[in-house]
Amino acid sequence: MKKKILVIDDDLNIRDYLVSLFNDNGYEAYIAGDVKEGIKEAKKIKPDLITLDIEMPGEWGPRFYRQLSQDSELKNIPVIVISGLSGHQYAVVNAVASLTKPFDREELLKIVKETLN
Amino acid sequence: MTKQLLLIDGDKNQAGALKTYIERLQYEVVIAATFEEVKHQLGFLSWDIILADPFLSDDVAACLDLAKKKNTIVQIIILAQKDKLDIAMDIFESRVLHYLEIPVSSKTLDLALISAGKNISRNKKLERYSERLAELNGTKDLFNQLFEEVPCYISVQDKNLRITASNKKFKSHFGNQIGEPCFETYKHRTSQCNDCPVAATFQDGQSHSTEEIVTSKFGKQYNVLTQTAPIRNKKGEITQVMEMSTNITQIRQLQDHLVSLGLMLGSMSHGVKGMLTALDGGIYQLETGLAKKDDERVFKASGQIKTMADKIKKMVLEILYYAKSRELQYQEVEVATLAENIISIVKPKAENNAVRLDILIDKNLGKIDVDLKWMEASLVNLLENAVDACTSDSDKKDHFITFRAFKNTNNQICFTIIDNGMGMDTETKNKMFTLFFTSKGSQGTGLGLFIAHRVIKYHGGTIEVESEKGKGSQFYIYLPLNKPDNGKVVEFPTINH
Repeated sequence: MKKKILVIDDDLNIRDYLVSLFNDNGYEAYIAGDVKEGIKEAKKIKPDLITLDIEMPGEWGPRFYRQLSQDSELKNIPVIVISGLSGHQYAVVNAVASLTKPFDREELLKIVKETLN
Repeated sequence: MTKQLLLIDGDKNQAGALKTYIERLQYEVVIAATFEEVKHQLGFLSWDIILADPFLSDDVAACLDLAKKKNTIVQIIILAQKDKLDIAMDIFESRVLHYLEIPVSSKTLDLALISAGKNISRNKKLERYSERLAELNGTKDLFNQLFEEVPCYISVQDKNLRITASNKKFKSHFGNQIGEPCFETYKHRTSQCNDCPVAATFQDGQSHSTEEIVTSKFGKQYNVLTQTAPIRNKKGEITQVMEMSTNITQIRQLQDHLVSLGLMLGSMSHGVKGMLTALDGGIYQLETGLAKKDDERVFKASGQIKTMADKIKKMVLEILYYAKSRELQYQEVEVATLAENIISIVKPKAENNAVRLDILIDKNLGKIDVDLKWMEASLVNLLENAVDACTSDSDKKDHFITFRAFKNTNNQICFTIIDNGMGMDTETKNKMFTLFFTSKGSQGTGLGLFIAHRVIKYHGGTIEVESEKGKGSQFYIYLPLNKPDNGKVVEFPTINH
């Protein structure tokens, strides 16, 4: 069964990119455009991994992470931060990795693969 | 110092005796026994005392007068036979110090010489005083010139903060406001400023400095760096305070520009990173689409790459616009032409995004003075924002923008842009013209509306905005027909085409 990855990013183009990238590499990608939607989707699909943007309109990424950590069902899902901001990774303390946009595609796939195996 | 005495006497024996006697009194004595000698001695040397028989020759009297004119200190004592004394007195009157009768008694001569000596000392002293006074006047003039010409605003104020003196630069910018309170002249206020440095100097006698924003008599605002210094009387009491202000407006403007550029680079970096990632994504989609022969993916990818290239281009141009400065280049253009140019740029974008563009341009709007390139860019920016507001709104099925141009009762050209897009909350509305503020996340630079607002403002125009979240926005742009009178030199970004 394919591993499920939830992509949370406000930028439609980047979401499309990540979805294609993960789907092309044997994963099943899902999308959310903001924190609220992200929590809803996470509860619904129970992803194996989440990629999280930091700066999004409305609530920012770390708020999603806090809500995720407080949910007993979701708190163990690994999170990879993919953000244009550097220096805010501290707000997602237990992130598997923090990548800065524009990220290296192979590096991301390598981290995803290692995390999911 | 030994005094020098010229003895004019044709009687050699008498002259010799007098010389011997006078030399004993510590004078240096030279005898002139002929008119030629008199001329020579008076022509080349300066004497303290002249003891003269004016009847040596007819011209001696004139020579003595000339000598007195040339050297006011010289003391002249006349020697004459008893029968000629009256004649001598008629000739010289009070222009000489003494008249001595020949033969001269030693006592009379002594007294005359003492009197001459005293006069010489007094005259020399007076001469020194005059020289010092001239020097003092020169120094006063120099200080006055320094006070007047120093390239700062200088005012002197009394305890009530009333201006008692001011220099030329101060007067030319703030008027000759002697007797008026400083706060009225400098800031057009009715009461003393908080933290007044002049008041502080009156209190503690120390120099104080502050940075202030002052308004000239022409209504122009300057940033000034102000420093104060106490002026004390002989008792050491502070009677007045001098306030010196240096105009640092240009430095502050430069600093603001640099800060803005720094802020811009900081805020840009996030947007640039997002765009580059999306561009990476487009390239990935294109590569994999081609490999998989997935036409749909290739088509979508090429669209995405094009969009990203456009966004990057727009952003780079905005940065360049902001970074370069020039004055607005006014030209007279038909309002209808301006409106048509704008519509031709915006129409394709509106059509591509299924936004209906309704255009209402009144006829006979006439001409307007604008910087065409900048005004076009600004109005296009506002219209493109309206298109973005429509495409970002998923609640309504159909979207429209109404673009209208008309002349109002104040003889201003009005452009209205009304959309039924997503609208703005109050916070967004309040910040929308702030530098680097964007509600479009990584899609915006925060420069477009800032520049548009500045362009309209510098044309002497105004923008009014009404908006309601979820319902749409209305922009009202009012522009005067002619270039504003204030002739404000505006540093403005350059458009490179």
